[in-house]
Parts: sequence; structure tokens; C-alpha cells
Amino acid sequence: MSDDTLRMLRDSAADFAKLDAVRVRRFRAARPGFDRGVWQEMGDMGWLGVLVPEAHEGLGLGMRAAAIIAEQLGRALYPEPYCASGVLATLALLHGDGEELKQRTLPQLAAGKLVASLAWQGEGGGLDVMQCGVRARQHEGKTVLEGRSRFVETPDADAFIVSALSERGLELHWIGRDAAGLSCTPELRADGSASALLSFDRVVATEATRVASIACAVPALELAIDHAVIGASAELLGVMDSALALTLDYLRTRVQFGKPIGSFQALQHRAVDLYIQKELSRATLEATSNTLSDPACTPKQRAAAASSVKARASQAALAICNEALQMHGAIGFTDEYDLGLYLNRALVLSAWLGNASVHRRRYSNLVEAAA
Amino acid sequence: MNYGVVQEQDWNALTDEAFRAVVRTEFETHHPQQLRFPPRRLRWSENKSWYLRMAAKGWIAPSWPREFGGMGLSPSKMLIFLEEQERCGIARFQDHGILMVGPVLMRFGTEAQRRRYLPPILACEEIWCQGYSEPNAGSDLAGLRTEARLDGEEFVINGQKTWTTLAHDATHMFVLARTDKNAKKQQGISFLLLDIKVPGVSVRPIRDIAGHEEFCEVFLDNARTPASNLVGELNHGWTVAKSLLGFERIHIGSPKLPEYGLQVLQSVARQQGMLNDPVFRERLARLQLDVAHLGDIYGHFAAIVGRGEPLGPEVSLLKIWATETFQRIAELIIETAGDCGGHSGDVRLGELGIDILAPFYKARPSTIYGGSNEIQRNILARQVLNLPA
Repeated sequence: MSDDTLRMLRDSAADFAKLDAVRVRRFRAARPGFDRGVWQEMGDMGWLGVLVPEAHEGLGLGMRAAAIIAEQLGRALYPEPYCASGVLATLALLHGDGEELKQRTLPQLAAGKLVASLAWQGEGGGLDVMQCGVRARQHEGKTVLEGRSRFVETPDADAFIVSALSERGLELHWIGRDAAGLSCTPELRADGSASALLSFDRVVATEATRVASIACAVPALELAIDHAVIGASAELLGVMDSALALTLDYLRTRVQFGKPIGSFQALQHRAVDLYIQKELSRATLEATSNTLSDPACTPKQRAAAASSVKARASQAALAICNEALQMHGAIGFTDEYDLGLYLNRALVLSAWLGNASVHRRRYSNLVEAAA
Repeated sequence: MNYGVVQEQDWNALTDEAFRAVVRTEFETHHPQQLRFPPRRLRWSENKSWYLRMAAKGWIAPSWPREFGGMGLSPSKMLIFLEEQERCGIARFQDHGILMVGPVLMRFGTEAQRRRYLPPILACEEIWCQGYSEPNAGSDLAGLRTEARLDGEEFVINGQKTWTTLAHDATHMFVLARTDKNAKKQQGISFLLLDIKVPGVSVRPIRDIAGHEEFCEVFLDNARTPASNLVGELNHGWTVAKSLLGFERIHIGSPKLPEYGLQVLQSVARQQGMLNDPVFRERLARLQLDVAHLGDIYGHFAAIVGRGEPLGPEVSLLKIWATETFQRIAELIIETAGDCGGHSGDVRLGELGIDILAPFYKARPSTIYGGSNEIQRNILARQVLNLPA
């Protein structure tokens, strides 16, 4: 894919994704938590299919393109679950071996007709895919799923791709939101979005619902998660970039003691440190997306690259938003002012799929193992 | 035109792995053991044989374009070259000729100046030092007072330069001097090349707190240099100097020193039994990522240079991040060394002798030289973030 294609994608994504703070506020603590019409538009523009190969009616543009879209959506605080459905669920499905399911659902996901979400973490969270919280067992000649899955992005998904541990290993199943025995409890998050706690009570899984068999479920999951970790980092980059821009504007215009407060060296130097964090995040995101685009990239390199960028972006976004609040003073703490929207989004995205500390640890273990 | 070195090989045509192998073999086979990981800057007399070998191989200027006799390395190859140098603990020499004079002559020099000066730089026959700072012009460099007066076909230079790194190894100095006292600060400065073996130049080493003599004072008392040694236009030396600051910042911003710091940190931690301590691990991981991300952003700026585009004021961030990361690493080394944290020279730690304080003494001045980090932050605030004066 050429740099020109990427530049065009960036421009069109930036045009599309302008902050509409009224809309962002309207979807807080609301169900559904996002707009199906906007989702459809995103599908029409091909964004939901950038990771879907052309054989499945996607664009097959790769992670660099997905990161560009995620960054722009983060910049404008889009509540639509781009990374959750367009990256995480889509890749888990794509790299599974449920060919019929792929044929049927991938084009619909890419077209914006469907929203799917991956349910892969147990109640304790964490990045170990084996700690999934759901068991697959045999019951009256059928396979049934039991247990609980937590931290599932968006309770409003049409279907969940559920990771379940059977005696033989991990499998993934496509479970519709209305499946018998499935109940969904939303958990409210700082930005007004919800994550779902799913309970499975003898939910029937069949050959036909199988997204990935034990032969490929673990690698498919790990691949999907690493990509989504990078997507979330890109979204964080967008968030921090907007929060910093808002703050720099404020520093330039807010007058105290007869001068713009941005003329004070103490604040200037602090603003520079935030800018450095943002630029490090950007450089690392770029390097990481390139690493993943290299066909020779091993799963271990991919995991280290993903952890590297998520550690930086999570830490940087929170640092920038926190300092932004301090530099604004009390106005920054009001709900009426937009800064809080960025800070609350940064809190959610930093915690999602592993925070900075978790990823630092994973990175350190991975590079040590490589050394 | 060739400048004494003809680069037969297109290094960028090799795969990264193949290039790394070639470089590693050369360094590991031929770089003298006793010169590896020195605790201080080596003098020319000490590492001359190595750099003459590099010069003879045509490897002395890895970053210069091939048409000027350099290796013409792409940013990624350059990073590999630096990494391999670091792995082997190969110390710099007084390389301002390679890092600064060469690039500045390629951009601002006349063909005659390039022909005169590039070949001896590539051959390591002439060694350059930088005449910028003065006793009263440090962070406020444009306040410099050294004067150059045109007398017939020569400039006559009077004044004093200071913090001149390894001037006692140098044969030449590039000098910022005031050539118009009536112009505003930045506008009356010229960029001159000076043979420091001429009468009127005296060099006095300054001892630093680590006990080393790496920088010097240079006194200029009616020192003469031909008018043809003016680089760029008369009174426009600030533009030339500023472009060099970009090169300098990208050089200081390379991940080389912090990577060396991490190696020392890990050795010290291993000897102290700290590698599995969870608190230490968290702090190490933080620093490892700080260095990894420095590498990423260094790659970004190196690519700009590689495309032949000018570096903007953004490059100041590289200097800040590289030097402050290095300091954080150096401080953790001392802390990890525990009771040995105040011991100087090679300290026995378990089965190893490690100079605990060497990274610290290397890191400390790095936030001061090349434009203090406070100045870098001022530049970023004003020129990049557009914050008001």
C-alpha cells in the first residue's frame, strides 16, 4: 500500500471525524451507546473492512490504515466501537477456521451491517488468553458454554465471539446477543460508555457457531489482541493530540497577571514535556505499524511491538490529560468544558486491553526472553 | 569529483541482516579489546590506530553521501552501524569534522572549500573542534564577543572560546566570530575555519569533576585565517551555525549512549541480584521503553536527514529525550550499585569490575552542552508550540 493511499485515507478520516461534542455527550450512559447510522457510514467508506481481505469484500489495507482511522476517531472521541469490532472481533474471525462463518459474516462486518465484539477475558482481566472465564463442556450430547466473560467492549454488539476453554483447549464461538442462556450486564465507564459482563448459562455452541477450533484459536486471539492493542494506542494518540491542542490554545489565550499564561516559562516547559510524550507515542505507533506490516514479523516481535506502543500511549495520554486539566485550572474540571471528555476517554482506553504497567511488564518479559 | 575516498559498495543494497553481519565482523575482529567501553573520552593518541583503519576502509563517514566519500547509509543502516559500534564499546574520537564540518561544507561551502577540507577529514589527517561557547556566551550563544576583522586577504581573530571539546587533539577549529559590531546580535556573526596551529592560538585543557580533561579553553590573540575560509556569507554565520545545531542535536539525540547505559545497568543489576526484583524490573522496563521509543523517534528524524530535507526546530525534542533518559539510567545504575554507588573507577562488583560512575559523568553534562535542555524547551515552546513570548 502506497504512502499516497495512506495520506488520502488520513485526510478523508480527518474530514469525517470532527469533534461533535453534543453528540459525544448524548451517547454517554445511553443505550445503545453509539449511532448505527454513523457505523453504516463508516462501513460505506470501507473503514470497517481495512483489515478484511478483498476475498471477503474488504479492502485488505493492513494495520497502518487501521491505525490512521483509529487515531482520527480518537481525536474526535467517536463512541462507535471501531477497534472492538473493526479490529479485534474482525481479526479473530478472519484468523479462525470457521470458513462458513467467515463467508457469511466478514462481508457484513466490513459493510457496517453488523457489530461484533470479542469476549475473551475472565473476571480477573489480564492478557493471558487462557484465563477466559468461560468453559465449554458436553451436556446432553451438546456443547454448552458456561461461566462469565468480562471487559467486553459494547453491550450493544449484535454478536459476541466468545473464547471458551474445553478439555481439549481453547475455542472461539459466534454467539448472537439473543442466544438462549446469555445475559449481559453493562458496566458503566468513565467516559459514559459501557463494557459488558456476559454470563453464559448453558449457551449452546455448535459446529456452525465455531469461529476457531483448538487448532488455531490461541494464535488467532493473540494476533487479534495485539492488533487491537495497537488500534487502542492509535486512538489514544488521537485523544492526547486533541487534548494537547485544546490546552495549547488555552495557554495562548487565557490572560492572567496581564499576560497570556502561555508566556510563563514554567508552563511552557511543562507543555513541551507533554508534546514530547505525544511525539514519542506517534513515532512508536508508526514504527509498530511498520513492524506489523513486515511479513517476516514473528508473533513475539508483534507482541513486543504492541506492548511497547500501548505502554507509551496509555501513560502519555493520561499524563497529557492530567496536566491539561491542571493548566486549565477549575474550568477544566467542569463537565461543560470539553477537556473532561478527553480525560475520561483516556482513562477508559488506557485501561482497556492492558494498561501501561501491564504492557511494560509484558514487554520486559518478551525482550528478556528474546535476549 | 572525488574527495579521496571512492565508495565501491552500495551498502544500502544489502539486507539489514547482511549489513549487520559485515559491520559486526569488522568491529569484533579488529577493534582492540583494551579500547572497548572506556570510562572517558579517549584521546587521539589512544584511538588513532582504530580510526585510521576506519578511514582506510572508507568507513570513517558512515552518514555522508557516497558522492562525498561517505558510506551513504540509509537511516536504518545507520542505526545498525551505531548499534554495532555500541555493542562493541567503540568510543568516539574528536569527530566534529565528520559530524559537523563535512555536512556544513556540503550545504554551505564552496567547491574549493570542499576540495580543500573534505579529503583530510576523510583521511583523519585534520581533526576539528568547535569554537562556539565563550565565557559570557553560553546559553545566550548569540551574545558572543570574539571578533574577526578583515585585514587584506585575511581575517584577524581575537577573543576566547571555551568548553571546546578535545581542542588539544584538534588541528582545526570552526569559529563563530562577530564581524559586524553594529548589527543586531544574530546578524553580525560569521562562520570561519581556522588552522589552530597558527600563531596566536593557545589551548588550555580544563579539568572536569570526573577528573578528566576533555574540554578546553581556546585563546585567540590576533590569530589569522585566509578570507577564503569564510563559510556562507559574511555576517550570515548564524544561519550556518543554526543548521549545524540541527546536526548536533540529532547526533546527541542518538540512542547510542542510553543503550550503553542500559547495558551497564543490566550488568550491575545482575551482579547485585536485582534482575528478578519486581520493583527493579518495573523501573528497568520503563527505561527500556524510553530507549526503544527514543530509537523510534530518532529513526523518524534520521529519515528526514536521509531524504536530504532540513531539520526543523522539532529536533530539539530528541536532544531532551535522549539526554534525560540517559541521566535517568545513570542514576538508576548508581542506586542499584548500592554501597558501591560512590566508588570511582573500576569497582569490583561480584565477579566483574564495572565503572559505576562513568555513565553518570557522561550523562550529567549532556543536558548542558549542545544548547542546554532549558534552551531546547524554550525553542520548542516558541517555535513549535507557538506559545507567546
